Amino acid sequence: MDITYRSKSVRGAPANLVSKGKSIAMKVQVRARNRAYEYAVQEHEQVLFGGLRNAIEMPYECATGTCGTCKARLIEGEIHDLWPNSPGKKHVNPEKGEFLSCQCVARSDLTMEIRGFVGGYPPGRSVPRHFNGRVGAKRDLAKDVMAFSVDLDEPCDFDAGQFMALKFEGIPGSRGYSMVNYAHRPERLDFVIKRMPGGGVSERLFGSDSKALDVQLFGPLGKATFHPSLDKDILCIAGGSGIAGMMSILSRAVHEDYFSCHKGYVFFGVRTAEDLFFTDELQEFKARYPEHIRVVIVLSDEDQRGLEVAATKHSTLEFDSGFVHEAAGRHMKGSYDNVMSYLAGPPPAVDASIRLLLLEARLTTDTIRYDKFS
Amino acid sequence: MSKTRVCRSEDIPTNGMKQVELDGGQQVLILNADGRYFAYQAICPHQEVALCEGLFDGQVLTCHEHLWQWDVETGAPVGLAEAPLEFFDVVVEEGDVFVGVASALKLASIFEGISDEAQAQLAGLMREESYHADAVIYDFGAPVEDLYILEKGRVEFMLGRDDRTSPGGFLISKGELFGWAALIADQPRRIAKASCKEESTVIALNGNEVRAILADHPVDGHRVMSNLVHLITRYLASFGAR
Repeated sequence: MDITYRSKSVRGAPANLVSKGKSIAMKVQVRARNRAYEYAVQEHEQVLFGGLRNAIEMPYECATGTCGTCKARLIEGEIHDLWPNSPGKKHVNPEKGEFLSCQCVARSDLTMEIRGFVGGYPPGRSVPRHFNGRVGAKRDLAKDVMAFSVDLDEPCDFDAGQFMALKFEGIPGSRGYSMVNYAHRPERLDFVIKRMPGGGVSERLFGSDSKALDVQLFGPLGKATFHPSLDKDILCIAGGSGIAGMMSILSRAVHEDYFSCHKGYVFFGVRTAEDLFFTDELQEFKARYPEHIRVVIVLSDEDQRGLEVAATKHSTLEFDSGFVHEAAGRHMKGSYDNVMSYLAGPPPAVDASIRLLLLEARLTTDTIRYDKFS
Repeated sequence: MSKTRVCRSEDIPTNGMKQVELDGGQQVLILNADGRYFAYQAICPHQEVALCEGLFDGQVLTCHEHLWQWDVETGAPVGLAEAPLEFFDVVVEEGDVFVGVASALKLASIFEGISDEAQAQLAGLMREESYHADAVIYDFGAPVEDLYILEKGRVEFMLGRDDRTSPGGFLISKGELFGWAALIADQPRRIAKASCKEESTVIALNGNEVRAILADHPVDGHRVMSNLVHLITRYLASFGAR
């Protein structure tokens, strides 16, 4: 279904269209609390992506139509909503002209309002842009989890912990996936996907014909990043495929010998031993810094016998049962000094971890990093 | 103050909170900090999240969505938070909790932390001015006399000069300061245009008279100038970042 909104105050369209190659650029004026910005957005480009690409730090979190953080208000001009039924729509009031800038494209020059402060990208942070890629290698990780690589048409700089918005050929909408690997300007990005029955992307990727599937990417996105200048111990609390971004953080930290003088605490929660993955990689990290890295696998739905079997199989990893935040709370007592926490996974797990860190561990909010996807 | 009875004190457990509605539909969050009651706007100034779903430990209120935090004594932002909370006056009489709307002057972060005496003298200077939608409060080049605090409505700014002007942001929160050139000596002319985009009420204070009061209360004067610098750098930081 296509829905097009036109602001009531539209004055004498047609828009001031600027020809630029084959694509048409539209002028967007963003009025934020502190100042206004102007930038050009391409014909089929989401309004948010145009702003971010121009190094304007417009608010967003999931960038894929769920969280509602990118909400803006149309003052003048015409927009087209690519996903009128997105879950994020519950956060907007179309009668007030509100729309999700991550799901709307411009059909004319636009003037829009953002109710918060908007700044520019700080120096040193990679400004997001568009990439073309192709699905390369795929590998089954667990029962319903798969790793896949995307080969890019050009190298991409990103910070460990960031994600990309991926749009697969023939499947509507884009989805956010955290990079698993970390390298300097890599031309290949590794991702993890969990199988969702009936989910367009996962059915396609888990099927046999996804090799050479074309992908459009936008990024890097997300603020839950790690840089070695952090100079703090690292606590990772991840549920399920939320471990993806943590692997990138740990890879960079190991690669730069960060753990020779800092500690790493990794809590990785899945349901059963069958759902477990990345154990070889985690054991390798552990083997490099046996005194400084702790990896605790937390199984929420496994009996004592299953837990013991898994622990025997992966002898350098620790095992515990229950929810991942509960295990983190038990094992981290007394170890919170100078810690930066990274959280990822299902929203209830992230929320419970936040409660643990703020109320029990008494950490300050500037030492907790996560990107909300819902 | 005109006050509304909102609940019984025992309705809110120690270190608990409760969202209530004032006459006129305004939503307010009442917090019980170990037997002392405070009232703030019920919705996070960041992204319209209900603060009653957040965390409160008796001292600090945390919005669960993006971890903005406030000191419950003052409503001042803590940590990641970029804006204060609007507070309401609270009185507990015989177990009944009453809430009243606080004046914009008390909410203004520019005057945050000053003595009651200076606050009272400033209140004596207050002139309430109402503007209809599209009214201009001051234009480019106009003489600088008053500083303003938004009571309600919406004020927008244009920057630049002659025909080369561009939008420069807007104010929507009660207690926000504008026209602050009046606080600084030797700033005789406006370099921006301030206009209302909807029916708005502002508090006007004569700049010279405010400065005279601050000169008589140097500690408060230092506090106000520190607050002003903080406010300006906040705008400049996000301005200069690009």
